Parts: sequence; C-alpha cells; structure tokens
Amino acid sequence: MTKRLTKDALLLAVALILYAVEAQIPPLVPVPGVKLGLANIVTVWAMFRVGAKDTLAILALRVILGSIWAGQIISFTLSLAGALVCYLVMLLLKRILTMKQIWICSAVAAVAHNIGQTAAAIPLFRTASVAVYLPFLVLSGLLTGLFTGLCAQLLIRYLPQGKTERE
Amino acid sequence: MKTRTWILILAAAALISGAACLFLLFGKSSGQTAQVIRDGEILCEIDLSAVGEPYTFTVTGKDGGVNVIEVEPGRIRVSDADCPDRICVHQGWLSTQSVPVVCVPHRLMIRLVSGTGPDAYTG
Repeated sequence: MTKRLTKDALLLAVALILYAVEAQIPPLVPVPGVKLGLANIVTVWAMFRVGAKDTLAILALRVILGSIWAGQIISFTLSLAGALVCYLVMLLLKRILTMKQIWICSAVAAVAHNIGQTAAAIPLFRTASVAVYLPFLVLSGLLTGLFTGLCAQLLIRYLPQGKTERE
Repeated sequence: MKTRTWILILAAAALISGAACLFLLFGKSSGQTAQVIRDGEILCEIDLSAVGEPYTFTVTGKDGGVNVIEVEPGRIRVSDADCPDRICVHQGWLSTQSVPVVCVPHRLMIRLVSGTGPDAYTG
C-alpha cells in the first residue's frame, strides 16, 4: 500500500513538473487549446504500466493541482472535460492494444482530449462557433499525441518491467 | 487490430482534419460585420466596411480581465490583453477569415457574420 502510494505520488510529481515546464514554453501556434501535452507521457505510461485506477488518480490530481497553479477556472473546466474523455478512450484502447502500440493509444487519446475540450467550450462560450477550431485541434492532437506516445513507448522499452513493477 | 490498420486510421484522420484546416484558413467568410461576444452575449456589432478612422476600445470581463480591441477599416483585432497566454493577441487581424479570434481565459470572441439577425446569432 505504501509502495503504491509512493509510486503514484512520484508519478504525480513528475506529471506536474512536466506541466510546469511546458507552461513556460510560449505558444507556438496562435490557436487556443493547442499544446504539447508533455504530462500525457506520464498518463499513458501509468495506464499501461501501473493500472487504470492509479492513472485516474494521477490524472485527476494533476489537472486539479495544475489548474490551481495556473489559477484559472475556465482552463480547469476545459482540462477536466478533456482529461475525462481522454481517460475513457484510453481505458477502451488498453484492452485492444498491445504494449508495442502505446504510441497509438497516446495519439488517439490526445485527439479525444481535444474533442472533449472543444465540446466543453461550447456551453462555456454559449456559441457553437468555437467548434470551428476542431480541425486544428484534431490535427494538433494527432501530432502531439504521437510525440508524447513515442516518448512513453521509449520509456517502457528502456525502463525494464522489473525496475518499475518490483513490489 | 494490426498496427498497419491503426496507421491508416490515423493518417486518414490527419488528412481529413488537415484539409478542413486549409479550407478554414483559406476560405473566405462572406461577412463584414464583426461581433464582439463575451460570455455568449453580443457586446457590439461593428460593420467593418463602414469604419472611417481607426479606434480602440476596452472590454472588461466579469472577473476583471481586460482585452483592448483595435478597429481599422475592414479589419479588427485584439491589440492587448492581460490573459496569461495572450493567444488572442497573437491571432492577429480578423478581416476575411472564417476562424474567429478567441480569448479563452476571458471567454471573449470576435467573429465575422454577414449582416445581423437571429441567424447570425446562433451561427
């Protein structure tokens, strides 16, 4: 139990550090919602290596703590919606993908995250006009998801099971 | 599913969304009326073709967030804002595009519509 708690807390800390580092990078494209999503590496890795329940805890706490740090209610709402959709899609993909296809899970989940975020933005802005951004967000989700997915894939390849799963 | 099938699915999604992006970026909006919308409420409508002298005005959100909006003949932009990412400022001038300028932290949006009326509102 203590080991599990320690491991999850450590992963949460890593996710928050990635989140904080990424926040310092100026936006590359002037499209709201487009970001690298480095913390996604931790989410994908935890989903395949640690467990679904642990991943949910890490993801939810990262969104809550990260948004408190960024200090914006609206970005919290959008992040939470995106994270929820992303998590559900990952849960589904985990059943049909192998350990060598983690990068696929990451790309699809990143797209799902951005779709969830756009859907949540519609009631917040009280107009469907924000859906115009959807193609940009799907494309960017694919690219950033592939990048973070490949990072997670390499991490799993070079961090042997025994070193991370030892109880 | 095989990896190859997944690659095909992802590539198809990239192609479709990429084509939609190009269409949105290079397609022209027929509208010349700019709507400034905050929290879903239209604050003002500006006929960009009827603008004479350039001017600026400030929109203050319910939580005190500020966006400075600059209007010139035929175009409009957010010239300054106190939101953290300032994406609305970086989006630049809105003149003919169908992609609106959005400031997510302040829930502000500027979009072009053709004329006024209920249709333009729900658009």
